[in-house]
Amino acid sequence: MSTNDFTPRQLNADNFADRWQQRPDARSKARGEQRYPTDELAWPGLLHGRILRSPFPHAQITGINVDAARELPGVRAVVTAADIPGDNHYGIVFRDQPVFCTDRVRYLGDALAAVAADTPEIAAHALSLIEVQYTELPVLGDPAAALADGAPPLHPGGNLLDSSLLEHGDVEAAFKACAFVVEGRYSTPRQMHVFMETEGGVAVPDNQGGLTFRVGCQSGHRDREQLASILDLPLDKVRVIGLATGGGFGGKDELTMQPAAGLLALRTGRPVRIHFDRRESTIAGIKRHPVELVARTGCDAQGNILAHQLHAVLDTGAYATLGPAVLTNLTDHAAAPLYRIPNVKVTGQLVYTNNSVAGAFRGFGGNQATFAVESQLDKLAAAAGLHPAELRKRNLRTPDDPGVEGQTQQQPCDPRLLLDAALASPLWENATESDHRRWLTGVGMALGAQGNGLGNGLPDSGGARLHLSAAGRIELAFGFIEYGQGVIAAVEHLACEYLGCAPDDLDIRLGDSSGPDSGPTSASRSSVIAVEALRRLQPQWRAALQDIAGRHADDLAPGRGGLCTPSGDLRISYAKLAKMAAQRPVLKVHFDFPTGPDATPRGRYLQLLIASVARVAVDRLTGRVRVLQLHHITAGGKVIHPPSYLGQIEGAAVMGMGMALLEDVPMQDGQFLLDNLDAYLIPTLADAPEQRVDVIEAILGGESYPVRGIGELGIEAISPALIAAIENATGVRMHSLPVRPTTLLTAMQEQHP
Amino acid sequence: MSEPRLTLQFTVNGSEQIIEVSPTRRLLDILRSDLNLTGPKEGCSIGRCGACSVLVDGQSTPACLLLACQLQGRSVQTIEGLRDEPVFERVSAALVNAGALQCGYCTPGIASTLTAALRNNPTATAQELEQALYGNLCRCTGYTGLRQAVAELART
Ligand code: FES
Ligand code: FES
Repeated sequence: MSTNDFTPRQLNADNFADRWQQRPDARSKARGEQRYPTDELAWPGLLHGRILRSPFPHAQITGINVDAARELPGVRAVVTAADIPGDNHYGIVFRDQPVFCTDRVRYLGDALAAVAADTPEIAAHALSLIEVQYTELPVLGDPAAALADGAPPLHPGGNLLDSSLLEHGDVEAAFKACAFVVEGRYSTPRQMHVFMETEGGVAVPDNQGGLTFRVGCQSGHRDREQLASILDLPLDKVRVIGLATGGGFGGKDELTMQPAAGLLALRTGRPVRIHFDRRESTIAGIKRHPVELVARTGCDAQGNILAHQLHAVLDTGAYATLGPAVLTNLTDHAAAPLYRIPNVKVTGQLVYTNNSVAGAFRGFGGNQATFAVESQLDKLAAAAGLHPAELRKRNLRTPDDPGVEGQTQQQPCDPRLLLDAALASPLWENATESDHRRWLTGVGMALGAQGNGLGNGLPDSGGARLHLSAAGRIELAFGFIEYGQGVIAAVEHLACEYLGCAPDDLDIRLGDSSGPDSGPTSASRSSVIAVEALRRLQPQWRAALQDIAGRHADDLAPGRGGLCTPSGDLRISYAKLAKMAAQRPVLKVHFDFPTGPDATPRGRYLQLLIASVARVAVDRLTGRVRVLQLHHITAGGKVIHPPSYLGQIEGAAVMGMGMALLEDVPMQDGQFLLDNLDAYLIPTLADAPEQRVDVIEAILGGESYPVRGIGELGIEAISPALIAAIENATGVRMHSLPVRPTTLLTAMQEQHP
Repeated sequence: MSEPRLTLQFTVNGSEQIIEVSPTRRLLDILRSDLNLTGPKEGCSIGRCGACSVLVDGQSTPACLLLACQLQGRSVQTIEGLRDEPVFERVSAALVNAGALQCGYCTPGIASTLTAALRNNPTATAQELEQALYGNLCRCTGYTGLRQAVAELART
């Protein structure tokens, strides 16, 4: 493949035969042999932990009595805030969330106490014996209530946790010069991650006052720091092993059960398992931020967009977790980063309420904003009498335009390439046929842009360790967590490419805080870090092995099985090298995530693009939407492991489809109106559309950063594409997600009474 | 609080088990906690996700919904007991080849359900196999690989 071929290629086993391999963990998973945190059941002396949570969304705590629970036979420990040796608070951005509440509860997931008992049944019984006295307080059930005059502050700084402003030009003046202006009010749901494995794991004490956590998480190192501070232990006494887990999607980024399990394990000197059931996961787990967006966009008579304004209000729930970072990413996306608009003003408010805590979730605020922005483009095109693609074409940015924060960017290619490919999609053929007039079909498309890395000047670094074991195994360690995304497949493939070895030569170790810190497994950053690490390690590794082999090894290079001749013949095996070595090499690298050349890093440097085309059928009788086909064109750098790439785009798209059509955790006055998968529906096999993914692998500017992380790309543009397809089918444009059949039906009837 | 106990006699993966349990103990807990068969996974506890699917008298059933008192004399097979069957071999190979899994947490349930469906009807069509899987949720994949695996199994 030539590196400057920007023609999209369909990602399938035929076109990518050279790289199409199974994931290293595929067989063990297909045979049910893979172990997960939830399988940590066989520890000798294992105790079962449970956490007592608040019965009220907002209340003063006036007393707590755990005596009766402590006396129950089979109970080994009961702990409250009084037992926390260190800081009783945690949170990735601000430590504002109590491990156990002392004076006030702020949502139904708030923890009061935890017990460890011989069986889960005894633990549950013990919880019911804990007496807490409350005085109920007024419930702030939505951001408007929380921002109203006289609303009780949920935190010392008030209920406005954070606000954002991104402005250039003068929107007010520019709107006056517009020939067409459209307005829209949009809303997006409180989506739940629904990883099939809920949050959980086990904390195991050693006999020297230290603890090992074997849990589902997204950063062993960051968890370790927070846990050491809560438990008042030195860092080297806390080890967090992020096991291969049954899904993350951002929802295991923050601490979950670790503090309670750790404290109980220290108290009892025994391993303590806490695994949330689905109900507890629903109530205490992180969600996607529900967002209300009000947008105004205008263009001149020729369709040049002159002004774009958007205000977003995010319900962040009771605690901060990654909310402020979500707000920043949403703000960037709300500024319409794909388009060159001279006057832009985006404002955002991140508001504490007594609702479910919202934080990291695949897309990270970007997809909510893109839904509003792309919808605005469609509405503006309609107002101006232009084809939606034509309006986009006239306003698309060029790859050299700075990002919305004025930052230098590395764009993968001209976004016009994706637009053209989307317009050429076979999905447009017979776009609006109807089946005996019951099913109306329609096609729509949308564009999305996304950046990799934590961005905005946040500390963002990563590292790796490469080591030749005594047995001659190549041990490559990263801090990343394998939660399904396939980082293990990517690392295996990259290691073979950069180190020349065969998969069988390698032992890949992931997710252990006693190994290298690669930074969090989030923000689509792992693949980039893995490539950067291996690039740096490659020459060092070769030199280290040549050193062992001695002078005559200058023309030997690391290859399959050991040092090989330039023609690939094995000369000295890794096992032999391990024996020969006076000192076996242990190579470590640590570096910053790639940022731009700007003096202060702003926004995100490494960029990706997607176009999603959707074909839907709408039932005229019920308003039900069936998604028939999805076609994505992506520009996300080199495809490292094709099946994982495909699976990430397809899986994210179906998750986005869930958000657009199905999923929401409704709340009223701080109460959850559902708590399990009987009422919270996610797409099933019956709902799954046919999908096709075409990729542009080449990257402008060549080889400096050839790879991007694509774990979030597939969700970026799916909602607006589906909404456009529904409009194409029915003539009705929806603004509120998820689109329920009844609301769509009502809107259709209003349109054609 | 003395709980009633039940002497449960049933077959698990071909071997006879006689255990003393509470009549209301869930099959899923008996398997995972008491018998250390952790292949079946818990995802919802209410019969909605299919991660805990096992075969009870040859039919795919959520193990979270069955209680000890319903198991007397019955035969239970978990994925651990299916691994050596040729039908299962075909199923797992099809799942691997189609890239039908990511985190794999849903996979034991899916593989067990497919094995039962094919055992009960070796000439099952793709549509019939898909219908057998409507109770098995997967959050990672978008189901495209699964559909491909099912097509493959219906063909061969
Ligand atoms: S755990 Fe049994 S069906 Fe979900
Ligand atoms: S592969 Fe993760 S739930 Fe199916």
